Amino acid sequence: MSVTAALPPEQLQQAVTRSRKVSASRWRLLVRTPGRVISLVIVLFFTLMAIIGPYLYPKNLPINSNDIYAPPSTAHLLGTDFEGTDILALIITGARYVLLAAFIAALVTLVIGTAAGLFAGYYPRSAGRPIMRVTDFVLAIPGVPLLMVLATIWSFGSPQQMGLVLGITGWGGIARAVRAQTLSLRERGFVEAARGLGIPGRRVIATEILPNVAPYVSMNLMMQLTGFIYTEVGLFFLGVVKYSSSNWGVMLNNAVFQADALTSTRALSYLLSPLICILLLTISLVTLANVGDEIFNPRLRRI
Amino acid sequence: MKLTRWIVVKLITGLIMIWVVASAMFALLHDLPGNPAATRYSELVTHGDTPQQARAATAAMYGFVPNQPLIQQYGHYLWQLLHFNLGQSIAEQGIPVSHIVFDAFPWTVILCLSGVLASFLIGVTLGVAAALRRMTKTGDGITWFGAILNGIPTYIIATLLFYVFATEWALFPQGGTVSIQYDPGFNAGYLGSLVTHAILPVIAYTLAGVGAWVLTTKASVISVLGDDFILAAELRGIRAWTVARYIVRNAMLPLFTILAIAFGLMFSGAVFIEDVFNYPGLGQLMINSLSTSDYPVLSGAFLLIIVAVIAANFLADLCYPLIDPRVRRS
Amino acid sequence: MTAPAKETETSTVAVRVRDLTVCFRTQEGSLPAVSRVNLDLVRGQITGLVGESGSGKSTLALTLLNAVPAPGQVAGSVEIDEVGDVLELRKGALRKVRGASIGYVFQASQNSLNPLKRVGKQLLDLGRSHGERDSRALVGRARALLDDMGLDATRVLSSYQHELSGGMRQRVGIVFALLLNAHVLILDEPTTALDMLSQAQVMEIIRRVHESRHLTTLIISHDMSVIGDLADRMAVMYAGRVVEEGPTASVLATPRHPYTRALLTAMPRITGDIAGAKALPGRPPDLTSIPRKGCVFEPRCPLATPDCLSEEPPDTYAGDHRFACFVTAGEAQ
Repeated sequence: MSVTAALPPEQLQQAVTRSRKVSASRWRLLVRTPGRVISLVIVLFFTLMAIIGPYLYPKNLPINSNDIYAPPSTAHLLGTDFEGTDILALIITGARYVLLAAFIAALVTLVIGTAAGLFAGYYPRSAGRPIMRVTDFVLAIPGVPLLMVLATIWSFGSPQQMGLVLGITGWGGIARAVRAQTLSLRERGFVEAARGLGIPGRRVIATEILPNVAPYVSMNLMMQLTGFIYTEVGLFFLGVVKYSSSNWGVMLNNAVFQADALTSTRALSYLLSPLICILLLTISLVTLANVGDEIFNPRLRRI
Repeated sequence: MKLTRWIVVKLITGLIMIWVVASAMFALLHDLPGNPAATRYSELVTHGDTPQQARAATAAMYGFVPNQPLIQQYGHYLWQLLHFNLGQSIAEQGIPVSHIVFDAFPWTVILCLSGVLASFLIGVTLGVAAALRRMTKTGDGITWFGAILNGIPTYIIATLLFYVFATEWALFPQGGTVSIQYDPGFNAGYLGSLVTHAILPVIAYTLAGVGAWVLTTKASVISVLGDDFILAAELRGIRAWTVARYIVRNAMLPLFTILAIAFGLMFSGAVFIEDVFNYPGLGQLMINSLSTSDYPVLSGAFLLIIVAVIAANFLADLCYPLIDPRVRRS
Repeated sequence: MTAPAKETETSTVAVRVRDLTVCFRTQEGSLPAVSRVNLDLVRGQITGLVGESGSGKSTLALTLLNAVPAPGQVAGSVEIDEVGDVLELRKGALRKVRGASIGYVFQASQNSLNPLKRVGKQLLDLGRSHGERDSRALVGRARALLDDMGLDATRVLSSYQHELSGGMRQRVGIVFALLLNAHVLILDEPTTALDMLSQAQVMEIIRRVHESRHLTTLIISHDMSVIGDLADRMAVMYAGRVVEEGPTASVLATPRHPYTRALLTAMPRITGDIAGAKALPGRPPDLTSIPRKGCVFEPRCPLATPDCLSEEPPDTYAGDHRFACFVTAGEAQ
């Protein structure tokens, strides 16, 4: 920022200390409660699992038809599934799909939703109207039924395809939020000044509005990830999408519908392992998303 | 009056949305891999039907006639739709899709509405409490609870509910709509069984939706609490009870618009809940028709869901000027 | 703080503020928004309170209703005729005083009315909250007040806030403040956010209403000209302190505090050289940058001496006119 060059040394020092204080205080928010630290650890743990997991095991996990639905033991920490495959191995290798697809979906919604929101908010009377119509339309349609219908014409089994489809159907929320922010930012002094200087709209959006919207959006991403994990696992749970290798949603599906885990205790660990993993991941992401809330709403901060 | 013009615009927008979806369904049915309509047609012909008979049969099933120019097929399809003719089921030969779909409709809608209502009432109450006690442990606890519930997938809630309350502690029946031992009718046994079978699914809907209401209500109340007129009312010595009414009514306003969206979201949840609890609603219908490739039923069910959601949104839009005087223009 | 040398007769003072301090507890410590203020509002007179944003004038006004928001903490006393020390009152008694004994008028730009309810209904809420059971009489009084303000009573009573213009809202705010016959009236920036014509109208109404009802009025404004026109007495606030106070004519003709002088110099006049108007360099302090020791105005004061850094200046009295400055205290009258 060129403004700092013009400040006398003491004030410059103050400004630097102030900004350091801000990021320090934001970090402090993140680790303020033990709950948040645990959540951070859990998310990092699963991310690590997703990245490294598949390298720890051979591509095709061993099956053992003599040992199906075995309860947890020293050999198989979480028991085995319907083919005798170690559940722990399934969980570890299955993490990658879950996180990768969610991440890709989040990226896609980020790009489409932010762009749509920025333009709709900056040109509310021209481009904004049709964009909002489309956004409202996309938002109104219930996601899961839509995805089921799409599944008839396209089998989006791989994580990249899944992420893409989820992203294309799910950008409505971000678009709405970004549009609201853009609308209010548009009236602020610095934006009016930029427009007054004759800077073209696209540049104003990129240089003035986008940086102000970015932090809010990136925090929103956390909640988005939760939603995408929910949906992709859900689609496998329903058996709507076919996928070959291991995957938490497929495990849940098999447990409930093939192993009758709901009505008998036979394959309990097969049911609970992916279930608890999803729960842990979801709760951790939600807890961390709360931090974003406090950052953007200082009134909520405790003194 | 500007108001009626606004209503008409909303109505037309809704109808256009339905039309877009219906057209998409047409494109879907038409361009399905393997082109089942054409396959069916040739099947019938090889089985001895005359081309006319085959055409009529396929038309009855899919809603449009193969081998005709696309525009004509499209027109025929739309015309059938306006007469509520959604074609015929493939899996269950000859049965009209509309019958299947409208049979399933009440099972979904009644539970959905109950769930929306319950989650709204509970969620809003908790949300107001969370806002009023926002710096205390109670308030934070409620908020945390709501945030977590909001994030937990519906099928996990449903699965856990089923496992804990239907299997572990067999308090409730294990799925289905009603015990077969009762004859349908207005007798206590039948109705009682309906209710006991519905309890867990409704609880599932409620738990799935309550979190979002808690969070949204809390945010809305907090924002109203910061408004000038609340301070002004307190400085004028207005009674606490009256101020509370001011706060609640102003906070409820934006929530009302969300009610319709919540109804739409419930349909997504319906798919999972009906799957787990074996409820023959639209959700289960979609799942089954997908696995049996019964595309007319699939698209019919989807279309009905869309119509229901758009209708709900339209009704909500209609009621909004009644509660917010700022939107009324004379 | 020593008591003023010339104590005004108790019966002529309607509001007596003594040693008032308002602190806000924040992450950076306890920050004083108002610091050891003494102020008297003479009965039947209009007192003006002038200051820049952040000078503490609005906070001071809120203490008259014991309405400082958390995390603020108030110390001192605010004694009001027929009410006692407002700061000692607890919930029920305090609620009764607000609106019935003291009326507070918000700025027009603020939404001081419930946007979802008609004005008439809200006036009834006001009356009923204070035990007025006779709705008809209440509405009658409201109509009379509205007519007095030059408004169409029937139309306004059935309107929503968003249907009223800024000037109308300001006048409706005054009606709310006076409906229950309060004897103290506080107006926070009554002319800000209004166009010139509406400003003149509102000022005229304030003057008329003050006289006909024999009120004790406090007007808060950053606009010196409004205070100069309406107020009988005026007080100047800076960084939470009253730096100068006295009869308006006296303060404007012979300002004794350097800040008041700077304010007056900064105002361009219609006649004379416009270059004569000089802005005061620097910015008013925010809560975190108020000097802890010595005179609060020292950083910007053209007359500052090393003495000004060590101690806060005490009040000096020139007749009915007091000010707090070491340097100008030594000047000839």
